[in-house]
Amino acid sequence: MAALDPPLAPRPTVAGVPARSPRSLNGAFSPSPRPPPRRAVGGERAPARCRFRDGVASRGGRRLRTVEPLEYYRRFLKENCRPDGRELGEFRATTVNIGSITTADGSALVKLGNTTVICGVKAELAAPAVDSANKGYIVPNVELPSLCSTRFRSGPPGEEAQAASQFIADVIENSQIIAKEDLCVANGKLAWVLYCDIICLDYDGNILDASAFALLAALKNVQLPSVTINEETGLSEVNLKQKNPLIIRKHPVATSFAIFDDTLLIVDPTAEEEDLATGTVTIVTDEEGRLCSVHKPGGSPLTGAKLQDCITRAVTRHKEVKKLIDKVIKSIKPK
Amino acid sequence: MPLDHRRLRGPEESQPPELWAAGTGGVPEKEEEEDAAPQDPCALRPLFARAGLLSQAEGSAYVELGGGTKVLCAAWGPREAAEPGAAAAVGGGRLLCEFYRAPFAGRGARRRPGSAAERDAEREAAAALREALEPAVRLARYPRARLAVSALLLQDGGSALAAAISAAALALADAGVEMYDLVVGCALCRSPGPAAAWMLQPGEPEERRAVARLTVALLPALNQVSAVLGGGQGSPPDDWAQALRLGLDGCHRLYPVLRQSLLRASRRRDAAAAAATTTTA
Repeated sequence: MAALDPPLAPRPTVAGVPARSPRSLNGAFSPSPRPPPRRAVGGERAPARCRFRDGVASRGGRRLRTVEPLEYYRRFLKENCRPDGRELGEFRATTVNIGSITTADGSALVKLGNTTVICGVKAELAAPAVDSANKGYIVPNVELPSLCSTRFRSGPPGEEAQAASQFIADVIENSQIIAKEDLCVANGKLAWVLYCDIICLDYDGNILDASAFALLAALKNVQLPSVTINEETGLSEVNLKQKNPLIIRKHPVATSFAIFDDTLLIVDPTAEEEDLATGTVTIVTDEEGRLCSVHKPGGSPLTGAKLQDCITRAVTRHKEVKKLIDKVIKSIKPK
Repeated sequence: MPLDHRRLRGPEESQPPELWAAGTGGVPEKEEEEDAAPQDPCALRPLFARAGLLSQAEGSAYVELGGGTKVLCAAWGPREAAEPGAAAAVGGGRLLCEFYRAPFAGRGARRRPGSAAERDAEREAAAALREALEPAVRLARYPRARLAVSALLLQDGGSALAAAISAAALALADAGVEMYDLVVGCALCRSPGPAAAWMLQPGEPEERRAVARLTVALLPALNQVSAVLGGGQGSPPDDWAQALRLGLDGCHRLYPVLRQSLLRASRRRDAAAAAATTTTA
């Protein structure tokens, strides 16, 4: 069975939320729009799929879902669709809300279906490390509090949170999203430290995509006050009134896939699908269609051709995401 | 400070840029003070409350105050108690509360997650939350069970604990836990000065300068106070009594907003359930 059938012109499932007031989150927490019921347009296979879904989502279907989830999913996958009505290559509705946390220097809230992630960036000043005197720091931190799902307990970060933090650190490093030299104020004396705290509010799968997206959106929103070093006294002076945005060099976007039964690839897995999957792959691409990183933590093996399919799909997803971010950034009124 | 091996490490020490905003920095603060029109001490800031928004928690609520305080709270209904011995001794359910501050929630330096000071502050706030919520929940109906409440402060714009109390009560109600009444929290503070009056729902700058703070939690329909937390510079008891009355009045005024949000959430849920059954029918 072909993994991702002729790369479908992916339906635009992204939407920016023009927050009612840019400083509040009260628009962002409305339930994400469900993908509209598909109609047969331009040769798409919609009607058969909808009928199938209705047949299985009966009482017997619900029992099957609890008792034999894998069997339940296999029935849908045979028809090239998923229980929530999506196609194999379709993303959930994406919404972004930027700049709502005013105590942070930059913030973004991203919703991928039910998965909700908020990223806040705080900038502080510190002395650069001795061996890299002209570089600043970017310190990502992904937190999965007990709030977001019953599978996480309170306390120090567990395995998944640590793995996600390391993944985000790798994305920052490999894609050169910000050149650390740009963060240096005075060689050897003073540099910016960007603490990027990514907190998951609702865990419904695909945390890596959402975190990377939230990080990118928050960094684009950061405004750093200008710092000058007084020549005579050698002290630094910060001018809070004059703020400059960060120079974002590259825009990496992550796309995650779940591997089912060693053969089938589905995009943007929910928590249920992730549990049933036999492996996951995350591809990070940047705006020139180049590959930044491939993250495949074990799981079932993948052939080269399937990997190529994934990369192609990731490149398309990148364009959608970039368009969304640009639209939202433009809609923010300057502070 | 012991090394935290589970989080990525940045530099040993870092300071917020506000520390160095010497000459130019002092002035904006004063400007802020004067810009804010002398606030009516009895005025309540606009409150936005929404229940039932997280998919993974049984009950959830989000409360936002006009000055920028944003609190998200999730609650889970009765689950098996981890240590049956302790719960059986008490003879009722247990309410476990947690209170997290996001590292970017405060205006000044970033709070380092995992440090001892941070953990202590969280434990204190969680204890305060439990104190305020326990009288409202019918724990006797859930013997040998535990109910969990987890609050996350996304942005601190003043009156954070009060907002968290209201959000937690809403989340518990949204989860279907049996309660006597919703708990409404209200904060007050008194600024320095001999004749300063108590102010309802202070913003962040007022709270920082305050010499005395008070948080009141009330069950409005039963008109019973569940918790009074706070302290500060001493003053005659009449002063504190007046502050308490002001706080209780504020709680009564906030109550309808919270009830409305709960009604709306249950209507939304009914509509969603009806829509789901019609598609399958």
